[in-house]
Amino acid sequence: MRFETRTLTLIGLGVVINIVAGQISSWLRLPIFLDSIGTILVAVLDGAMAGGATGLIANLVWGIIASPVEAAFAPVAIVIGLVAGVFARIGWYRQVWQVVVAGTAMAAGLTLVAIPIQILVFGGATGAGSDLAVAYFVHVGRTLASSVGVTVLLSNIADKIISALIVWSVIRRMPNRLSSTYPMLKYNRA
Amino acid sequence: MNTLLFRGGTSRLHRANPLTKLAGLLWAVTAAFALPWQGAIALAIVFAVWGGVSGVGREFPRRLVIFLGPLTLALILIHAILMHHPDSRALGPLAFSWEGMMHAVKIVARLAAVVASSYLFVATTHPSDLLKAMDARGFPPAMSYLIASPLLLTEMFAMRTHTIRDAQRARGLAIDGSFWTRLRALPPLLFPVVTIGLVEADQRAASLTARGFRATPKRTIVDPPADSAAGIWLRRALVLAAIAQVGVGIWR
Repeated sequence: MRFETRTLTLIGLGVVINIVAGQISSWLRLPIFLDSIGTILVAVLDGAMAGGATGLIANLVWGIIASPVEAAFAPVAIVIGLVAGVFARIGWYRQVWQVVVAGTAMAAGLTLVAIPIQILVFGGATGAGSDLAVAYFVHVGRTLASSVGVTVLLSNIADKIISALIVWSVIRRMPNRLSSTYPMLKYNRA
Repeated sequence: MNTLLFRGGTSRLHRANPLTKLAGLLWAVTAAFALPWQGAIALAIVFAVWGGVSGVGREFPRRLVIFLGPLTLALILIHAILMHHPDSRALGPLAFSWEGMMHAVKIVARLAAVVASSYLFVATTHPSDLLKAMDARGFPPAMSYLIASPLLLTEMFAMRTHTIRDAQRARGLAIDGSFWTRLRALPPLLFPVVTIGLVEADQRAASLTARGFRATPKRTIVDPPADSAAGIWLRRALVLAAIAQVGVGIWR
């Protein structure tokens, strides 16, 4: 598929917003990642494919500037963009409860993709603090797959809901001069 | 702010064509999964030594320890101690399994090879050289732009975010305090960055279109990375070997 030039610049911006939002989150010492806001924003403004591409490029770029292993989780980032785009296309960024459902769906979708990657590539651990949660669930008798799944879902659900709410707030405040140039927004703005 | 893992140098690896190094990385990552764990460790050692010879080796031990240290502890805890295996033996209130331990060692060995090879690639390949090599071989301009633009924009946006933070704090924005106080500080810091970015994205697209960004798919590159017929054949061989290794992995 061929993206328009405007979509390319938007994808580039989405990747940068992911990185900058993560930086702001660490300044504010928030216990959430916020590193998918750009992906969700691009998906809402320009569709699921652009959102998925933003997720893919974000992880590849993050691999170059911070940690090459991030590239292994590119499919997870793609799913976030695709799910966000699908919910944008059906107009589920109008009401708060719809945005909460969209964020929850993103967390559920990424969990399904993250489980096989985390188990087959990383043996169920990632070297982060959430490994203790995986260890706890394994200790109480859960399978490794369900332990990883529950941990990924719990550590992402609040993050994706808050990220989706921020994007919802951005598109609501967007001046008409700017929003009128994004045809996808007609599904989510009155 | 230097955001890249790239470390400059004049070694043979620094001068090698980035696409050949990328094909080598693909081969190394697939080999790490196709080889037995002893082979993966040998591969990691080879890459670490190669990094040392190429002048980027000082970072190797630090990066391997930062990434693999916590991961190794977690894998041993989960696989050797907490998960039940047929050979699990009581160890106080817990249990220990050599089978689980070997599984953890196998995963760590693979990841050591993957991390070492990928670090060797990013530490010896400047993104602009990779993009030049892609352009020189006729990759679509859109692909190069998608990788280049975030790398070029990140630093500018990071500086802009600092400025916005200082300006908002001067207006009385509290970025310390309870969780809710800190969460409320998020929109005033993020929204200006996003809005300005969206306006600029439009301007940037217009500017690219005006310059005929996609008008000539085969552009002539000033100072392209050196390439040779042997290098092209080596790349093909590495990609084929990588595909074969994936096949072996699936078949096993």
